[in-house]
Amino acid sequence: MSAGIFWLASYPKSGNTWMRLFIANLNGEEEEAVDINELYTGSIASGRGWIDDVLGFDIGALSHDEIDQLRPDVYRWSAEQAESLEYHKIHDAYTTLADGRQLIPANATYGVLYLLRNPLDVAISFAHHSNCSIDKAIDNMSNPQFAFCGGTKRLNNQLRQWLLSWSDHVISWVDAAQINRLVVRYEDMVNHPMTTFSKVAGFLELATDENSITQALEHCTIKKLQEQEQEKGFKEKMATSANFFRKGKVGDWQETLSETQIQRIVTDHCQVMQRFGYLDSQGQPLVNPKPIERQSIQQPAFASQG
Amino acid sequence: MYSYQAFGLAISSEIELPQLIPVNTSDDLSVDVTIEYGKIDKNGLKDPTSKDLYCQSTINHLWLHVPEVAWFEVMNGNKIVVMAETGADLQSIRLFLLGSCMGCILHQRHYLVMHANTIRFGNQCVMFAGASGNGKSTLAAAFHQRGQQILADDVSAINKQGDVTPSYPQIKLWHDAIKQLGIGFSGLNKIRLQVEKYAYPLSDTCFCQQPLPLSAIYLLSSHNEDEFLMEPINGFKKFNPIKNNTYRPKYIKGLELQSVHLKQVGQLAKRIRVTRITRPNRSFQIERLIDFILEDMQSHGMAV
Repeated sequence: MSAGIFWLASYPKSGNTWMRLFIANLNGEEEEAVDINELYTGSIASGRGWIDDVLGFDIGALSHDEIDQLRPDVYRWSAEQAESLEYHKIHDAYTTLADGRQLIPANATYGVLYLLRNPLDVAISFAHHSNCSIDKAIDNMSNPQFAFCGGTKRLNNQLRQWLLSWSDHVISWVDAAQINRLVVRYEDMVNHPMTTFSKVAGFLELATDENSITQALEHCTIKKLQEQEQEKGFKEKMATSANFFRKGKVGDWQETLSETQIQRIVTDHCQVMQRFGYLDSQGQPLVNPKPIERQSIQQPAFASQG
Repeated sequence: MYSYQAFGLAISSEIELPQLIPVNTSDDLSVDVTIEYGKIDKNGLKDPTSKDLYCQSTINHLWLHVPEVAWFEVMNGNKIVVMAETGADLQSIRLFLLGSCMGCILHQRHYLVMHANTIRFGNQCVMFAGASGNGKSTLAAAFHQRGQQILADDVSAINKQGDVTPSYPQIKLWHDAIKQLGIGFSGLNKIRLQVEKYAYPLSDTCFCQQPLPLSAIYLLSSHNEDEFLMEPINGFKKFNPIKNNTYRPKYIKGLELQSVHLKQVGQLAKRIRVTRITRPNRSFQIERLIDFILEDMQSHGMAV
C-alpha cells in the first residue's frame, strides 16, 4: 500500500477547504455527507501541535526562524512514519531556508496538489475572511513579505507561514520541479467538476469511479456546505467573518471590484495571470479562464478542462 | 554544586538554575535528582526500545536532542546529564532542563504529569489545561493579579498522595500577555534572548510552596462564536481529557509507563471534577473568563 504525504497547497481562499471536503467525502464510508466540523484529512503543515509532538520538546520558547529550521525534519520523519497516504493542507509558499534546505523537502512529499484561483476573486474572498477592506487584501496579495502569524510577541497554535505575494506563492509551488505535483484551477473545479475532480482523485490515489466522484461532489456543493454552516456553524471560520462558505462563485469580481481594484490586481500579477489563462492576449481579465498550455508549468501533470 | 527544591524534590545541579528555590546545603537533605554535565553519544542510545526524530528511550532512560542547544539523558528519575552544543547559551539549556527533562524525571518517578497550570483556591487547587497557545499562562498570571497563589506554570505534577506539588516560582509570558495584563516590563528578563517571552517571577507570598489536593481540571479551548461555554464532563468521559492533557505522552510510551499512567488517570478521574470551558477566540476577555470560572467554582462550593 502506498504511504506518504500529499500536500494540498494553495494561497488562502482558493478552494482548499472544498478540496478537503471532497477528499473526506470520497474516502468516507457513510452514505451521508461528512460533517464540516468533523473534517479531518490531516493536520495543516503549520499546526503547532504536529511539530511539537514529533519533536518531543517544547517549541514555545523558539523563534519563528528556529522553528522553521526544525520543520523539514519533522515532515520528513512524519512521511517516513506514515502507514498510508495522508492529505495535509498547507498555505505556506514553497520556500527555501537560509541554509538552502526546502521547508517542504522532496523526501517528505509523495505529491503536491496545488490549487490556484483567479486573484480577482481571491481578493474579495480574502477580504471577507480577514475582515479587512478589499484594498487591504489587494495590498497583502502584492506584498512579497506577507506572512500569517508572523508576529514575534506571541506564539499562536499556528506557526508563521510565509505566503509571499499571490504571484510568488503560485510560482514557488508550480515551478518546484523536484516534487511530483498536479496544478488545478478553482475555476475548472467549478466549471468542469467531473473531469477536474476525477483527475485529482487519480493523482491523489483515491477512488476514481464515476459514482464515487459524483456522490462526493454532491455532498459538497456550495449550497449543501452553506446549509451545514447555517445549521451548526463551521469551526474553521474566522471569528470576525460572517460565514465561511460564502459564494464560491467564479467571476464575482465583475460585480464587486472597482475598475481601479481590477487594474491594481492585473498590474500586480499580470505575468502569472497571463500564464494561467486569467488574461486574454490583450491583457484583459477573463471570467472563464483559457485552457492552460502544458508548457505553462515545468513537467507536472495539469488538470484543465481538457 | 547548587542545591534547589522543586516538585517536592531536592535537586543538586552543576548548572546554576536561578529560577528555582535554593535550599541551604548545610541542611542534611538526601538528593533526589542530580543534574550534571557529561558525555552523551550524539547518535543516541545503544538499544533503544523507542526511537523518534530527536528522542529515544528505553525503560527508565530517555535521550533527547534539542538541535543548537544540547543533548540530554534523563535516567531512573534521579539523574539528568547535559552535553551542550557548541555555542549554545545557558538560558536555552536551562529551559529544556526545567521543561522536558524535569517532566521526564517526574514521569520516571511515577508522578502524574500534566501539561497544565495549577492555582491555589483555599486549601485545594485547580488545574487549567489546554493546547499550547490557548492562554494558560496568561490566565495563571491574571489569577495571580487577583491574589491567588500559583503552584505551577506549564508543567503540573501530581504526587502519589494525589497532591499537586509546587514547581518553579515563575510564569512564562509572551510580550502581548504582559501588555494585556498591564504588568510592565521593568525588572522582567527574557527567557531567551531570541524570543519576546519573559519570566515573571513569583514572590514567596505569591507562590504556593506546599502540595495541595487537586479538586478540578478546567480544559481551556476557544471557538469562533461570541459566547462562553461551560460544559461539565462526567463519569468515564473524564478519562480521555485527562489522558490527552498529560505532559509529553511520547515519553510515557518510550519509558513503557503506559499501564502506570492509565491507572493514575483512572484514579484521578474518579475523584476530581473536569469541566471544559470554551471562550470566544475573537478576543481573550480575560476578566470575563475569570469571573466565569470563579462563578462555576463557587457553584461547586469552592472557596474562591
